[in-house]
Amino acid sequence: MNAVVFDVALTAYIVAAAAALGSLFGRRDDLARFARLLTVAGWACHTGAIILRWVDLRRAPVLTLAEGVSVVIWVAVLFGLWIEYRYGITTFGAFFLPAILALGLGLPTGLRGLALEPQSQSGWALVHVGLILVGLAALVLNFGSALMYVLQERQIKAKRRGAFYYGLPALETLDHLTLVTLTVGFPFLTVGLVLGILRAWGVPQAGRSWASLLAGDPLALFSLVMWLVYAATLSGRAVGRWRGRRAAYFAIAGFCVLLATLGAGAFFHGRHGS
Amino acid sequence: MIHTVFVAGLSHRTAPIDVREQLALEEDKLREVLRDVAGGGVCSELMILSTCNRVEVYGVAEVPGEARGAAFRRMTAQRGMNFEVLEPLLYTKTGADAVLHAFRVAASLDSMVLGEPQILGQVKDAFALAQSCRVVGPMLHALMSQAFAVAKRVRTETEIGRFAVSVSFAAVELARKIFGTLDGKTVLLIGAGEMGELAARHLQDQGTLPVYVANRTWGRAQDLARDLAGTAVRYEDFPSVMAEVDIVITSTAAPEPIISVADVLAVLRARHERPLFFIDIAVPRNVEPAVNDLDNAFCYDVDDLRSVVESNLRERQREAQRGEVLVQGEVRKFAERLRDLEVVPTIVSLREKLEAIRRGEVARVLGRLPGADEATKQALEALSQAIVNKVLHGPTVKLRDSSRAGHARRWIEVISEVFGLGTKDRTGPPS
Repeated sequence: MNAVVFDVALTAYIVAAAAALGSLFGRRDDLARFARLLTVAGWACHTGAIILRWVDLRRAPVLTLAEGVSVVIWVAVLFGLWIEYRYGITTFGAFFLPAILALGLGLPTGLRGLALEPQSQSGWALVHVGLILVGLAALVLNFGSALMYVLQERQIKAKRRGAFYYGLPALETLDHLTLVTLTVGFPFLTVGLVLGILRAWGVPQAGRSWASLLAGDPLALFSLVMWLVYAATLSGRAVGRWRGRRAAYFAIAGFCVLLATLGAGAFFHGRHGS
Repeated sequence: MIHTVFVAGLSHRTAPIDVREQLALEEDKLREVLRDVAGGGVCSELMILSTCNRVEVYGVAEVPGEARGAAFRRMTAQRGMNFEVLEPLLYTKTGADAVLHAFRVAASLDSMVLGEPQILGQVKDAFALAQSCRVVGPMLHALMSQAFAVAKRVRTETEIGRFAVSVSFAAVELARKIFGTLDGKTVLLIGAGEMGELAARHLQDQGTLPVYVANRTWGRAQDLARDLAGTAVRYEDFPSVMAEVDIVITSTAAPEPIISVADVLAVLRARHERPLFFIDIAVPRNVEPAVNDLDNAFCYDVDDLRSVVESNLRERQREAQRGEVLVQGEVRKFAERLRDLEVVPTIVSLREKLEAIRRGEVARVLGRLPGADEATKQALEALSQAIVNKVLHGPTVKLRDSSRAGHARRWIEVISEVFGLGTKDRTGPPS
């Protein structure tokens, strides 16, 4: 049952993404409104699906990779809708919805079956996973706004008005958005990862070094790389050197590693997978 | 009925500027012309729109040619011009074409700069002037109120007025695309060129933008700073001021660039890479073009801004196409409404006539029945009303149908004749 409702939600997101892209290219406000309506409807279905699954399983549905991605999408859509409303960016959907679909389209296929090892189904793991998921959601939006920045910056530098020139917001707004999404997402990601490391520390692993721990767990390895990329971006911004285009490129690179991390979680079985 | 509407005149499309400015009349003279021409009996309603881009007469007349001749003869006489010279430049539109023209003018689809907002105000003023001279009747009233509504629709439903079409406004538009809100941003103006000053003023209108002014001549810098309510800075100091401001406008007569890539690199480092926008209005250019290649530095010269204006004009043309479609639909609706309006007076007087007969007959019968109770009286009323309504139904439907089919005049005459309706009862717009 919850799988069906989830598919309905995903379908709504797909159609909404298509409509949002249509509104961006065709400069049609009516399509943007339609996309927003569909996104809200999809999000409502999505909420229903999560609750149904929670009731079915009698546990929080955040423990398998598929469930995790679903929660990332759920938080990202909520946050994305808020940004659209707060900053009045009608074209935001055209960027964050496809990014979300890149995550979500894997879900109805084989990913559903993946589960964490039984021992990790503790409260400790829930907090560890939950924090990381919220962080990832913000970073998906970080990618969306960075992509918009790069496109808009190119158009202004090239002194040619491309198809999106009129639809995209001001550069400073976009730069601010990439900063906001990064500063929201990064602490969640950091604390979530640290909790994971502390837990790994707590499990007796006599005679194994850090290097071998990471080597045996691709998800953890990729997570660390991802964290380093975002940490570099944030510190670059903090010392006042990386603004605008450079920050946007790093945000895009970070998202690529994020996708790779999820891929690692799905296809390699380390201590996270079973 | 719609065929009596006409517009005649000349505009930037048909007449050179020297003719237009020669014909332009001030308000007092316009009043005289309006009263004289309408008083002369060649037209029943009249309005004159006189702007620097067009002089047009809107009116209602059985023979538009006569009204046009009378109005323009009177106007040319006022200005000591020869009407015969002017006549070939005049265009005349009647009926639905005149309605279309009125809507297009009010919606700024016929303007020299598409979508410029002043024309609607000028049409409103012209209409108010005609009203104050009491030469506006129901027809012009209906036409103009609809024209104002159409103009508003075009403005809100298309983006015809959205994009900047002057170089200095294009600079403001770009600044908004870079910074978003301009509140709290600061401007440095180097040099005292007129266009630079204009751009600075437009920027100031957008928010609270402190302006710094630098000039090789200290006195000029001070004068200009006073005009712009800004601060004068020494010319030698402008590189250090650049680190503090967000927008730099250059318009000096220097033969070589005064701002180099190396300068801007240093400034950007000092300002922690906060974006910096150069508006280089000087020719030859004051800012090295390669500055635009630096991260977080944006540089537009006059040619770049001109090409922005050109692409904005194309945007307006695109939006104007949508406006045209919208206006044509409105003309159709207006014509339909007018046709309905045409038969309304006949329907009203027919109804009044039958109602008078009915009331008279009921009173006569009741006079002969002094003992009639309340129930009987009500029954008589109801009976007579039902008969009148049934009799009215046929002619009313016929009139409405014929008006939609476009041959109402014949039926108005037939029904008026058959029912003996006096023409004095027909109080609608003159037809």
